[in-house]
Amino acid sequence: MANTELKTAPAIAATKVSFEQEWAIHQFLSLEARVLDEERYTDWLALLTEDIRYQIPVPLTTYRRNRASTTALKPLFIIDDGLPGLKQRAAREATGLVWLNDPATRHLRIINNIEVEVTEVPDEFLVRSKFLLYRGRREKDIVNHPGWREDILRLTPEGLRIAKRTVHLLERVIIDKNLNMFF
Amino acid sequence: MKKINYQELVDSEQALQKRSIFWDPVIYEEELKQIFNRCWLFLGHESQLPQTGDFIRTYMGEDDVIVVRGKDKVIRAFLNACTHRGNKVCQAEGGNTRSFTCSYHGWSYNTEGELAGVPLEKEIYDNLDRERFGLVPVARVESYKGLLFGCFSEDAPSLVEYLGDIAWYIDVVTDSAKGGLEVIGTPYRTEIPGNWKLPVENAIGDGYHVAWAHAGAMSVVGALGHGRSDNVLGISANNTNVDQSAAIEVVMNTHTILTTLDGQSGYALYDHPEPVLAHLEENRPRVIEKLGELRGKQLYGSETHIGVFPNLQIIQGLNFIRIIHPKGPGKFEVWTYGMCEREMPEETKEVIHNHVRQTFGPAGLLEGDDGDFVEAITHSAAGYATRQMKGFLGMGMGRKVPWDGPGEASPGLVNEACQRGFYDQWRRSMEATNAHEIIGQTAPGVLREIRHG
Repeated sequence: MANTELKTAPAIAATKVSFEQEWAIHQFLSLEARVLDEERYTDWLALLTEDIRYQIPVPLTTYRRNRASTTALKPLFIIDDGLPGLKQRAAREATGLVWLNDPATRHLRIINNIEVEVTEVPDEFLVRSKFLLYRGRREKDIVNHPGWREDILRLTPEGLRIAKRTVHLLERVIIDKNLNMFF
Repeated sequence: MKKINYQELVDSEQALQKRSIFWDPVIYEEELKQIFNRCWLFLGHESQLPQTGDFIRTYMGEDDVIVVRGKDKVIRAFLNACTHRGNKVCQAEGGNTRSFTCSYHGWSYNTEGELAGVPLEKEIYDNLDRERFGLVPVARVESYKGLLFGCFSEDAPSLVEYLGDIAWYIDVVTDSAKGGLEVIGTPYRTEIPGNWKLPVENAIGDGYHVAWAHAGAMSVVGALGHGRSDNVLGISANNTNVDQSAAIEVVMNTHTILTTLDGQSGYALYDHPEPVLAHLEENRPRVIEKLGELRGKQLYGSETHIGVFPNLQIIQGLNFIRIIHPKGPGKFEVWTYGMCEREMPEETKEVIHNHVRQTFGPAGLLEGDDGDFVEAITHSAAGYATRQMKGFLGMGMGRKVPWDGPGEASPGLVNEACQRGFYDQWRRSMEATNAHEIIGQTAPGVLREIRHG
């Protein structure tokens, strides 16, 4: 596939996706965000493919010259799950025994800067988006996690599904008691 | 300043701890001086620094520290502060370098900490004595079987003396490891709004909270989640009953340990422990030969929480090393490193690393539960009346169980012996007038003489 970005700034994705398809993807990501905001984890799992890979890498703080595994520092993932792992996380929420989510945690996900590209695989799209996950709980336990995602969305007979998601957080030290939410 | 009455803050006879110790900034300042400036503190593992010029950054108390392997292969530690004006000379968490250069005026130090470069030196200084201005070294750096520790106190006892009897238990982790212990070279890091002592004593001794605080996670992970067993670590599903003969909590002079004694339940919380269990049995004869029957059969493979005072936990089974760095009285950072045996098959290592991530990483299924109550305990102490209350850790007091290893053993995982030991040690450290007094006196009896293997 041709390089879809211009070599010189500003880089603009040369999208080959139809306006209609792109709009469907935007709507899908908005729906997905709302399903998660509403804690409908079973519904969310139905939006994933059987072979999904969901990863959150740790952004290591290294000098530019030490990037990309040139040293003893190993890459590290906060989450590196397939469907069984994600189901397990959802199952925990469903037990009714997770005290930290009662009173209920309030979530709000804002998804923006959505860019869609075709890939070499038919019916698969590379979708990049920026997000802000806002979480409020108890009296004033408020946390914001901004970041960006790189997804592979697959068009299946049932509709769009997430086949791969990489979540890039900007925090090296997670300033949160727990990231027990889906991005 | 009014003298702080530590006997009142930690009452060993009644097992009470005044809650102001989690909140009072005056007490916190004393902790930085009495504990973090005197005790041996964990820096990292030698496997993180294989090459000349490899470095990592960590904290000793709130002091930012660089640990680096010099050109002579020696590992040293320095305060991360330029000797000119105090700016940090390193902003990366680790890597490989020939020098550390201050971003303010460009003073540059080599990996042995010597001042190696001063911009415009000839023009602006007359005979600058470079030797005076090397990075400030951490007074003592020693390794115990690959585990690196530093100490700010020149006259402190040696690391081996400081560790004392707990070394007998640490050996189960270090000496059993085929090819040596290996850590993932990068820790998970999370900042939690709570007092540093709470996560420490939770990890080293609080078996009581496991089935209740983590009830949601416990019902979906490991032995219970997969229906392999109707109990985990001796505690039944739904927290309805506990087998107190299934584990012991052992308090030594300075440090503590909790262990399940069955040689395999360390992996009870794994979804798929089979490769790890197979490795344990394959390696066990070697461990028995090296460390004797007691450690080889009963400790190797058990869920074992080694608490090295003040802030290090080595946790076999869940298989991670954890450090709690204080960040003010009401905040701390948790650093979690997965650990494995260097010569384990790669896929077995992977099972362990996955498990660490899944249970106690920053998005771990169990991790978040603890942060919540640690915060609440700390912040409720903001209330003057609440702060006058005392926490009660009286569980299992006076209960003893015969044990052939070092230390005084108390029966059961649901016991608060290790937590009491921690606060006793905290009080002793806060009252100490020198680094030697931090180490507790030999426990009653002849336990120190008892050595196996």
